[in-house]
Amino acid sequence: MTAVTTPGRRRDLALLWHQVRYEQLSFWRNPQSAFFTFVFPVVIIVLFGALFGHGAGSSYFYGLPALQYYVPTIAAVSVLGSCYSQLAIVLALRRQNGILKRVRGTPLPAWAYFLGLLAHCVMVSVIDVALIVGVGRLYGVPLPGNWAAIAVALLLGAASFCALGVAVASLIRNAEAAPPVVQLVLFPLIFVSGTYFPIHSAMLNRIAGALPVRPFNQALLGPFAHHAGLDWKSLGVLLAWGAVGALVAIRRFRWDPRPQ
Amino acid sequence: MSSAVVVAGLDKNYGSVRAVRDVSFTVARGEIFALLGPNGAGKTTTLEVLEGFRTRDAGRAEVLGIDPGARATARALRERVGLVLQDIAVEPYLTVRETVARNAGYYPAPRDVDEVIALAGLAGQARQKVRVLSGGQQRRLDLALGMIGNPELLFLDEPTTGFDPSARRGAWQIVRALREAGTTIVLTTHYMDEAQALADRVAVMAGGQIVAQGTPSAIGGRDTARTRIRFALPRGSTLGDLPAAAVPGDDGLVTVQTTEPTQTLHRLTGWALGRGTVLDRLTVDRPSLEDVYLRLTGDDEPAPVLEGSTR
Repeated sequence: MTAVTTPGRRRDLALLWHQVRYEQLSFWRNPQSAFFTFVFPVVIIVLFGALFGHGAGSSYFYGLPALQYYVPTIAAVSVLGSCYSQLAIVLALRRQNGILKRVRGTPLPAWAYFLGLLAHCVMVSVIDVALIVGVGRLYGVPLPGNWAAIAVALLLGAASFCALGVAVASLIRNAEAAPPVVQLVLFPLIFVSGTYFPIHSAMLNRIAGALPVRPFNQALLGPFAHHAGLDWKSLGVLLAWGAVGALVAIRRFRWDPRPQ
Repeated sequence: MSSAVVVAGLDKNYGSVRAVRDVSFTVARGEIFALLGPNGAGKTTTLEVLEGFRTRDAGRAEVLGIDPGARATARALRERVGLVLQDIAVEPYLTVRETVARNAGYYPAPRDVDEVIALAGLAGQARQKVRVLSGGQQRRLDLALGMIGNPELLFLDEPTTGFDPSARRGAWQIVRALREAGTTIVLTTHYMDEAQALADRVAVMAGGQIVAQGTPSAIGGRDTARTRIRFALPRGSTLGDLPAAAVPGDDGLVTVQTTEPTQTLHRLTGWALGRGTVLDRLTVDRPSLEDVYLRLTGDDEPAPVLEGSTR
């Protein structure tokens, strides 16, 4: 009979790519995910563009033209949507429908499944961010100088919010509860983090700075708007939240719709 | 060659509920083995322990020589085993072909995607989205996913529940074709005719235990059970007039049990002809698998005649 084989690294990579391709296919075919997750942030930045246009810098936006402030924060919203919200809702739904259990019954390793999802989410985010930057360009927002710092912040943010998304999916019992729970957590976070309105309260900023969304905004705002490099402090907070999410996900994630 | 599945003294509890108690059976390679029983008998729990979805509380389990609960060998085992679970679970927005092709990519040596789609009777739906398929078609897609990895062993949990009669025959054809090709099949069912039509061996489960196992024709003493001769008592006759001991049933027929059917039937028909009458609605049979099943699973209250029929 066949011995227990250790599959080669090339086969693993091919498997991962295979998985990403089909995640992409499922995502783009689903009108809900394609619209709410992908199109929504683009719609917002277009609206803000129409509202604020080619404005001059204002102290309300820390001396920046409004849109130059909003390009990085709405870019962050798109990552939150495609990584955190989308993942939590999709995983809760797939578990309830038995799809996760079905996946568990195939030889696809768990790491390949989750890494495939992560890669898929990152790809969706990257396209979204590119579109948002493109809309910003139309309103005269200059292209950022430090792409490397942006790439690091995006990747770390995407990974951390994916981990948090899986964690929330692990804690929710049924799929119907997923969208409200996801929104209930995210909505106030986005508001106190200065995503839609800059916040000038030092106290609020200190609190929000310890939560996951504001550090992500800051890590993007620096290189996007001020030609800054890596914002180590914000990235550190983001990483810590990602680690918490990963820990909860690893300990509590279930494949089976029914508990043991 | 070793057995495909070995289960010995298997126990599984959910809290205080003892879902599976001391279950033991072996499945030979190339065999179709059926776990037959009513809902809640422990069939699916037993299967899920073997599929690696559930841990066991006691006992031994071996699938293709591998412990299904061992993490280190889980991937290697899943490459050799196919599953069809009780609930239909398929991504709604992919097409049939995409769904099968995706799963094919998970196995080291899968079968041909189009061949499997055709075998499942979905060739005409290959390019349709899964969500527009009927329930029966989705179930057949499930079956296609179970066999795409070219498994040595296939677990089928109630594979034809909800099928119309012709779809069931079609599914049976597929299962038989897989067995012909050398696949070992372990299935659960609560359909007697399915066990009878497909299985080489059957284990009847009730209340978490195996209450009988054997070939469909011999299980529960079917092969050694006494033959039943049933007929309407001729008008004007009483039970005492008959040349053989008979018991009345609630359907107006009387039943004679015998180990010598040829002789007993001859005496009865001779008696009737001698009195110038007939044995109306005469039938001769042995307990069906259904009778045995109902007796073994304790589901037979409305059949007092059957109660005393086998030993």
